[in-house]
Amino acid sequence: MAHRVVIVGGGAAGMQTALELKSRGIEPVIVERDIELGGKARGWYKLFPSFTPAGDVMRPLAERVKRERIRCFYGQEVTEFAPDGVILRSGERIPADAVVVATGFTLFDAHRKQEYGYGLYDNVLTSVDLERMMNSGAVTLADGSMPRRIAILHCVGSRDEKVCQKHCSKVCCITGVKQAIELKQMFPEADIFNFYMDIRMFGPGYEELYREAQERHNIHFVRGRISEAAETINKRIQIKAEDTLTGRPLRMTVDMLVLLVGMSANYENAELAKRAGLELSPNGFFRTVDSFLGAVRSQREGIFFAGAATAPKSLADTLAEASLTASAVDEYLKNSFNK
Amino acid sequence: MSTLNFGYGINRPRAIDLDNNDLRKSNAIIAEMPELQACIGCGSCTASCTAGAITNFNFRKLHTAVRRGEYRGVYEELSKCMLCGKCRLVCPRGINTRGLVMLIKRKLGDF
Amino acid sequence: MTFFAPFTIPFIVGTIFLFVAVATKWILWIARLPKVDRRLIAHNFFSLGTLAAIWEVVRESLLHAKIFRRNPLLGFMHMSLAFGWFLLIVVGWIETIVYLGFEMIPLQGHVFFKYFMPLNGIEAHIPLFEQLMDALLLLVLTGVALAWFKRIASKAMGMRRATKHVLFDRIALSALWFIFPARLVAESLTAALYGGNGFLTGTLGGFIGELLPTEVLTTLYEPAWWFYSSALGLFFVAMPFSRYMHIFTEIPLIFLRRWRLRPTLERKSYDNFEVEACSRCGICIDPCQLQEDLGIHDTQSVYFLRDRRYNMLSLKVANNCLMCGRCEAVCPVGINLTTLRINSRAKRRNIPHEGRYRYLTSLDRSSGEGKVGYFAGCMSSLTPAVQHSMERIFEAVGEAVWYADKDGGVCCGRPLMLSGETDAARKMVAYNTDLFRRHEITTLVTSCPICLRSFRENYHLDGIEVLHHSQYLDRLIAEGRLSVKQGEESYSYHDPCELGRGSEVYDEPRRVIEAVGELREPRHSRRDALCCGSSLANTVIGDEQQLRIARRMTRELEETAADAIVTACPLCHKAIARSTHHTVVDIAEVVARNIAE
Repeated sequence: MAHRVVIVGGGAAGMQTALELKSRGIEPVIVERDIELGGKARGWYKLFPSFTPAGDVMRPLAERVKRERIRCFYGQEVTEFAPDGVILRSGERIPADAVVVATGFTLFDAHRKQEYGYGLYDNVLTSVDLERMMNSGAVTLADGSMPRRIAILHCVGSRDEKVCQKHCSKVCCITGVKQAIELKQMFPEADIFNFYMDIRMFGPGYEELYREAQERHNIHFVRGRISEAAETINKRIQIKAEDTLTGRPLRMTVDMLVLLVGMSANYENAELAKRAGLELSPNGFFRTVDSFLGAVRSQREGIFFAGAATAPKSLADTLAEASLTASAVDEYLKNSFNK
Repeated sequence: MSTLNFGYGINRPRAIDLDNNDLRKSNAIIAEMPELQACIGCGSCTASCTAGAITNFNFRKLHTAVRRGEYRGVYEELSKCMLCGKCRLVCPRGINTRGLVMLIKRKLGDF
Repeated sequence: MTFFAPFTIPFIVGTIFLFVAVATKWILWIARLPKVDRRLIAHNFFSLGTLAAIWEVVRESLLHAKIFRRNPLLGFMHMSLAFGWFLLIVVGWIETIVYLGFEMIPLQGHVFFKYFMPLNGIEAHIPLFEQLMDALLLLVLTGVALAWFKRIASKAMGMRRATKHVLFDRIALSALWFIFPARLVAESLTAALYGGNGFLTGTLGGFIGELLPTEVLTTLYEPAWWFYSSALGLFFVAMPFSRYMHIFTEIPLIFLRRWRLRPTLERKSYDNFEVEACSRCGICIDPCQLQEDLGIHDTQSVYFLRDRRYNMLSLKVANNCLMCGRCEAVCPVGINLTTLRINSRAKRRNIPHEGRYRYLTSLDRSSGEGKVGYFAGCMSSLTPAVQHSMERIFEAVGEAVWYADKDGGVCCGRPLMLSGETDAARKMVAYNTDLFRRHEITTLVTSCPICLRSFRENYHLDGIEVLHHSQYLDRLIAEGRLSVKQGEESYSYHDPCELGRGSEVYDEPRRVIEAVGELREPRHSRRDALCCGSSLANTVIGDEQQLRIARRMTRELEETAADAIVTACPLCHKAIARSTHHTVVDIAEVVARNIAE
């Protein structure tokens, strides 16, 4: 009889791990909190740096999961997991031979940076809101008009000790560049300003895209973090920053302010880790054995990780890691049960 | 092009000369508050600054100058600070900026 | 009778020394009082304040009523020592007068009455006196025993931590601990040899008399009185330099305070009375969150006053204080700890550059027009929901408002004051006062409790009523100008230090919350409320330490399980918001959301 592995979370990491396990003759079971698979990437418009529609990646994954008849629990939350199975909120227990934690991350709640006025000013939105708008085909200001001046702010809820988010979320810089280009293509007349502290372009094709944004699309990159935003009478957003490269304070009024929200660790991680006897890293994500050969293993045999549950990751990194997780699980099952 | 206006502009050397600048005071300041070195230069302090909204006071440039051993005029310039504390509230590195203003003033007071 | 024996010399020397030392201190302190203070004394000398002061001396210096209220056992300890000793002196005095008439008897005659007049020397002695004196001695001895007990088990007396003392205090303390046991031994020996005395010394004397041969008793007799006298003498010599100086300082302090003398932002002679009135009881240690949350044990008010008194105050100790006022709220002597801390800082900074704040000249960035002025405060621009909500409320009630700092204002000056830069702060005060006058406002509403306190305490704004926005909102609702709808939501309210303890505004925000929802109180609230840790008064602790203070405070707010946490200060708001996943709102937001259409 095939070994059973419960995968907590049905996002990109969970689905890819499940598919890889299935191909190795292992029986995966996905437990998803939402009512459908896909996680955070569902509803995303296009992926950096290639502008591949997110659906082109996510849809085939979900379809394959269905085709392979992988068992999925929907709308079910895992309250406790151990190497021999998971317990659902309903109290039901799903026994397993190993568990993969693919619980991903939580988007930083932009309300927590009240100085940027998210939820308070009509034309302040997050990068996620923008993706959804682009997906729905209509990016406009609150009154339906076209923006002529847009500011994009990097590092909202990343590298910010004032909201207890010390880590870099990795994907926002390149997302900011991607969205700037998309907005420019949508509104060729608009001026777009990216406010950044550091631009971190570490992935393949990122630096090229950055340069393209600067040269071909005339995106303005301002080195300085916006300190506060205020709404004018005609619903425009007045922002304050220091242009650190000239060393002078900068004030400007824009029609739209996009906040590149970072990745936070799930709030539930602490409780889950405690119950499973696992450790968390200082930023609240799950701690792996190391970042080399033990990058997908937990401190407990039989519990594995995939994707952004352990640190902010891009979709590409997540998918690559999921295969690694599957192979580690396979190896573990062989060693532990087939002696 | 704006430069720091310390009132001594004419006689200032063109380049920061780290071969000859004396970093002892700077090191003494950092020894007392090592977090000063944690600055990533995002400019939030200057952007939010109450005094900076009225006059050309720039805390980020001032403490950077101090760290390079450029002390001249810094004390006088720091006296423009109202100590209101907004900068501490926005600093993403959690630097105790108010404490630093007072520390630097104390250390450079006789400069 | 001469009333002299060689063993009284330590006592006599000690007493004279004490008298001279205390008199010198008093005279110097009073002589150096600034003119304003001397005029206040002259003006209020013959007033009800003097009578009230006498009553307060009895209540506080002798009976220690405030400490009693805090912890009965601790109160009893202080009372038994102070009031017991006081009565021993008074009753002893009466005793000598009754026996010897109003003769001129030297001091040692009263104190060592039992030595000079053992009972066999008095023909018709009154047993009541012996019993009474023994009862009082027992009372004091209980106090001494409790003081010993407090050293080893302070928790039982409501104090988790007791004060760590300096050398002078240790000398005086040891002497004090020996005085009354020594008296017990000396008087018991006297009773053993000459008979008489009350239930304590008499009984003990009888017991010793049976136990030891007469030669031993006679040998021990003189040394016992020597020891008693020496303990007294030593205590008196150490007293003016130790914490026991508080006994002679608290009394004049009570009078001066009743005559309306107060410490100010600049040091002055009056401060001596406050500084030396500290008995170092250590009651201020436990409420200090720096101690409880961060394990900082050298900066609490008791140590600050001690260091200041002995001229060994370090900058770090002076600066490492949140000035939350939790210690001031419990200080049994009522010392103005915050003001003393501020004026200590004022002395320790260097002199600023002359042309400081010249840039303020002819600056006016205000907008709007109205008799009501709104001063959001520097920090409020980082919590724009407050300002946004206030604007909606102003609009709803049709108030014409002049906005002082909507487009950036000038700081109220309190942050500078808290750092001891009082002269610089005065420039802000002058600037803002002039701005308010020029725009002829009659009411000034601020959303920042720090500004509020500054406007009230450091500005002279006669003719302008200064209100915190919670007070303004309370008034709008009470007067029926603003109708709000009562909702289902529950709110846990955090008292900001500067608003609560600092400005005594406790009820208004609570009434406002109750008008729109259900109010829940955290474990520590009102005068007892915890500080959020972000206080501008502290420039020593780091971000991570601030966060630790905020987290513990926030946990209490979360424990009420209210739907939202409410506060009324932008600084507290930021501190709480970063420590919780619960909803955190300002009181203005709560009201703005519940305006009845």
